[in-house]
Amino acid sequence: MTEAAVAENPLAEGLRMRRPPEPFALSIFGASGDLTQRKLMPALYALALRGLLPDHYAVVGVSRTPLTTEEFRARMREAVEEHGRDDFREDVWEHLAQRMSYVAADFGVESGERPLIDCLDELDATQGTSGNRVYYLAVPPKAVGPIVTALGRARTTSGWTRLIVEKPFGYDLASARQLNDLVHQHFEEKEIYRIDHYLGKETVQNMLVLRFANGIFEPIWNRQFIDHVQITVGESLGAEGRGDFYDETGAMRDVVQNHMLQLVALTAMEPPIDFEADAVRNEKVKVLRALHTPGPKHVVRGQYGPGFIEGEPVSGYREEPGVAPDSETETYVAAKLYVDNWRWADTPFYIRTGKRLPRRETTIAIQFKRAPHPPFEVDDGEGLRPNVLLIHIQPDEGVSLAVGAKVPGQGVSIRTVHMDFLYGGAFRVSLPEAYERLILDCLLGDATLFTRADEVEEQWALVDTMVAPWTRDKPHFPNYAAGSWGPHAADDLLHRDGRSWRRH
Amino acid sequence: MPVSSLRELERELTELRAASAEPGAPPRLRTSVMTHIAWVPEEWVEAATGTLAGLAERHPSRTILLFPRPDDPRDVLEGEVDFRCFVRGGQEREVCSEVVSLRLCGRRASAPASVVMPLLVSDLPVFLRWRGPLPFDAPELDQLVGVADRLVVDSREWPDARAGLARLPELFDRIAVSDIAWARAEPWRCGVADLWPDIAEASALRVAGPEPEALLLRSWLSARLGREIRLDHQPAGELELVAVDGLDAHPARLEPLTPSDLLSDQLEVFGHDRIYEEAVRSFS
Repeated sequence: MTEAAVAENPLAEGLRMRRPPEPFALSIFGASGDLTQRKLMPALYALALRGLLPDHYAVVGVSRTPLTTEEFRARMREAVEEHGRDDFREDVWEHLAQRMSYVAADFGVESGERPLIDCLDELDATQGTSGNRVYYLAVPPKAVGPIVTALGRARTTSGWTRLIVEKPFGYDLASARQLNDLVHQHFEEKEIYRIDHYLGKETVQNMLVLRFANGIFEPIWNRQFIDHVQITVGESLGAEGRGDFYDETGAMRDVVQNHMLQLVALTAMEPPIDFEADAVRNEKVKVLRALHTPGPKHVVRGQYGPGFIEGEPVSGYREEPGVAPDSETETYVAAKLYVDNWRWADTPFYIRTGKRLPRRETTIAIQFKRAPHPPFEVDDGEGLRPNVLLIHIQPDEGVSLAVGAKVPGQGVSIRTVHMDFLYGGAFRVSLPEAYERLILDCLLGDATLFTRADEVEEQWALVDTMVAPWTRDKPHFPNYAAGSWGPHAADDLLHRDGRSWRRH
Repeated sequence: MPVSSLRELERELTELRAASAEPGAPPRLRTSVMTHIAWVPEEWVEAATGTLAGLAERHPSRTILLFPRPDDPRDVLEGEVDFRCFVRGGQEREVCSEVVSLRLCGRRASAPASVVMPLLVSDLPVFLRWRGPLPFDAPELDQLVGVADRLVVDSREWPDARAGLARLPELFDRIAVSDIAWARAEPWRCGVADLWPDIAEASALRVAGPEPEALLLRSWLSARLGREIRLDHQPAGELELVAVDGLDAHPARLEPLTPSDLLSDQLEVFGHDRIYEEAVRSFS
């Protein structure tokens, strides 16, 4: 049933069960890769388990690796058993596996797409997939061009087509524009789903609900009441077998260009008129256009050396497999950004991300201005500290508000206490994985949580500005020990402004 | 520990809360998203207890179980309080919910609102699960409807579903109503909706399943299409078949939900279900 038909169907009104997607054939490029095994296939299994897939669908693994369909299914089964968030159920797996096939194809050669196209045509006939195509490009950036061109040549005339492209979308502004132009030659913008899995996280979406569904926050969500914002995306892991990929990418392109700038945009954006895809994305683009960094000394890069994580000695980045021994790739970035608009003028957004930090943590901390004139003579303790609204994206998803409270007893001693809303405490259901939400949204044709072409280009424009001085300045790497919170220069970045990073 | 007054009960709750924080360990969080009242006459105790097992974990709330014992010669309140704590994987802190069980003996059974009101969690919605048939003219229903935001019933528990549904609209202006029988029929309503527009001129509905679901499906289809619909009903324990003008509907989900799942789903619904109310009004 089409969306239009649902809209005029009097029997569909009031149904709480979500409409399943229309029949589809999903082709996953990079099917033998890590992402497919760790995220995509467990997500499809979770959707199948919850009855969120239609009766007629097919999943086709595509890669250059020669595999039979049976071998592919066996690998995917292992992947689901190992990485799935639910208990493994044989009946659900069989339901999914029966709809799964594998095609070995090399899109780098003439007519390399033919085996896949033949397979999809056959699935239309045997599985009733109605010519509806989803192509999931879980491949390195350089492989995207040939695949998109070949798929564009072989578009079906029946059904719809959607293209999901994994990050990084380009390497800089020029390459992102080139890629956008290439993709637009074959696909309309509304058919393109650029994925940033952070946007699929429940707590990231809760950020919008927190801001726009609660009357108490929005009136104070501006430069008058907020001193500054700190966004941290920390990982305790190192390159972890992705050394060759990471060494070409670095923290700026791997995390800042996408996840981090999306978090900044969601924090700073104006209220959209509704939650439709373009309304939300229009507001995000306005923020991205207004972002700037005040200069090179407000961008800090770092690379970890040897150190300790959870008591275990770990090697430095340059000793990781796949990494050049003289690598100048940054594993840490901190920066000060400004949003040049009426709401945020002169309010710094400090961002930092790094590998081999003491713990895995993604938080947005909104630090409010201090009380202007506290009428207390504070005896001791930590004194008056500013209120902080802390949004935990992961782990311990939830929201905390740090407030000053009187320590019981004589005199006035003030302690900061946290009022916590734990997502898992109030809603005791396991949160869906980001990829489940995003794949389902794409199957339903909802692009709200995907990145639009102009968003990507604005993100790259800012990143290009931040990395431009790096081409002439040689870094002194390594400059922070694994297990620390980054280089000293990152602390100086805030100390110069009379501030400091949040205490952990 | 048994208590016999609300004051004792509140003291017991405070002590339990304090005792739950172990020395040196992070404090346990008391989390509530609602007050959940369950009215459980004696014959429904077993079913209610089974349904509630696991529910507190999904919906942290202050749960108040009211067991009316109007025939008890004593005119007393007897109760227990319990703190149920749950740990979630990867989280350091435990989250705790409170369960208050109260036996309302003798005349106490006829004034339940006065027992419940001091125990409501401020500013949070109040759900009332009424087990068994609704006593439309009884003061206890009238009182509890007055303090709750949403009434959850299961018309399958009613000995005469048609009569109960005919009187249910009397409550619609006072409280939002959820019917678990209606929820059970939802996958089949999705299936019927998928038959649109081929059934726009439908005149006959065939249902194999419990009577309340059959009645609700007929009145829903009739109200939505604005047409008289003839019902051919074959009794069965669960919904097994729904066909409109000879076209079989395919339910959106085959596996029936457990009683806990069904109640849990209803505790996530706020506001009036206009489509349900429209369907039920046709019984009056």
